[in-house]
Amino acid sequence: METNWDVIVVGGGPAGLFAAWEIAKAGKSVLLCERKREMGVPIRCAEASGDVDLNKYVKVEERWISARSDTFILVLPNGKEVKLKSDLYSGFVLNRDLFEYDIAAKAVDAGAKIIMKTNVIDIIKDEDGHAMGVKVLEFGKEHEYFASVVIAADGVESRIAKKMGVNTTLKAKDIEPCVQVTASNVNVKENALYIYIGTGYAPGGYAWVFPKAGNCANIGLGINGKYASTEKHAKDYLDEFLNKFFPDISIQKYSTGGVPVSTNLEILAKENLLIAGDAGRMVNPLNGGGILHAVESGISAGKAAAEACKDPKHLDKIFKKYEKDIYKKIGKNHESQYRIKEVVYQMTDEDYNRIGEEVLKIDENKRTFLRIFSQVVKHRPEFLIDVTRAFTGI
Amino acid sequence: MIYSLQHCDQCGTCIAVCPADALMLGEFKVIVDHKACTECGICVKMCPIAALEVKHGD
Repeated sequence: METNWDVIVVGGGPAGLFAAWEIAKAGKSVLLCERKREMGVPIRCAEASGDVDLNKYVKVEERWISARSDTFILVLPNGKEVKLKSDLYSGFVLNRDLFEYDIAAKAVDAGAKIIMKTNVIDIIKDEDGHAMGVKVLEFGKEHEYFASVVIAADGVESRIAKKMGVNTTLKAKDIEPCVQVTASNVNVKENALYIYIGTGYAPGGYAWVFPKAGNCANIGLGINGKYASTEKHAKDYLDEFLNKFFPDISIQKYSTGGVPVSTNLEILAKENLLIAGDAGRMVNPLNGGGILHAVESGISAGKAAAEACKDPKHLDKIFKKYEKDIYKKIGKNHESQYRIKEVVYQMTDEDYNRIGEEVLKIDENKRTFLRIFSQVVKHRPEFLIDVTRAFTGI
Repeated sequence: MIYSLQHCDQCGTCIAVCPADALMLGEFKVIVDHKACTECGICVKMCPIAALEVKHGD
């Protein structure tokens, strides 16, 4: 196989696949290395995504959609359900494995090369410390591949950026250890996404029930890392949650994952390296959503890489622009979300219950975020200060 | 010393929090680089499914 490429992409999740697709479309040669033996499997994700949002980047195909949802149901610590039906929200729960299979096929159709069971173990640098290739274990055998640009799309466990001197280590409070089951016999409304709040079920995080077709659902939870202990892991919390709310389900799959709930990495481009997706910590720190940001940063990184290959003299400028664009599109918003997260975590079960009771008094069709927010402020006036701070950054 | 156990799912949570860059994904489970590991134990706490353990006295 060819040793020299224009671009090497490390990781075949949404960020890496969209990057490779973009590079191939721009007519540049691209090699994508994926560690796993099967594209998209195992998923490490709750699979919910906004409809309009994803459609901005790719025409969403029916087979990727397991169930459509138009309602959020917030289950309070006291067990009461607050329904939030919003015209603003229409989304779905994806079959992420099929989604990734199909995006991989599109990338390959456009000219990308994908190799599986290929673990990137090191970055090869030139004498100036610039990335110029990768060392891999491909079916256990060591190989080297070279490229003008390397894209790190290697997920939450990213080590590629670290090898280029970027500090990616997350603090305990900036990660949510998560466990999820995919189960049948769930018996919930298929068109609703359920979020359970309660420090007893999921301290510093939440539990979710995201229905899929055929009376199935992804049921999982994440706890904040600062509450993780050797005595009680995320799975122990999930076991308790399932025993309490879903004792009769039949579990068909376990998924495990760590969701970054930090702000984005400040450095997203360094010496011929671009960082995209979870590797760049591009996850909404308030709700843990990352699919969309992986897709949009993957596309941007792919564009920047292809452009830099065509115009290598201006590589630094093109890469700086990538960093700036991502900050504008994703990073800035996540900084506000992060500040809100820091506030929301101080709220007690009692706070949630009281605010929920007030929201329940508002007519179902009039439950806009503004009205809900005004209830929050009424009960926790200091929250206004915190949220103002969150939005203004003061 | 810290060991990864057979039921490791390779989710990478431990790697994201390791301050010593002492962990990497292998073919079936996380591999601990005992030379780099400082035994701070954060990985053991963070593992969602308790697939890392500390063994003392090795």
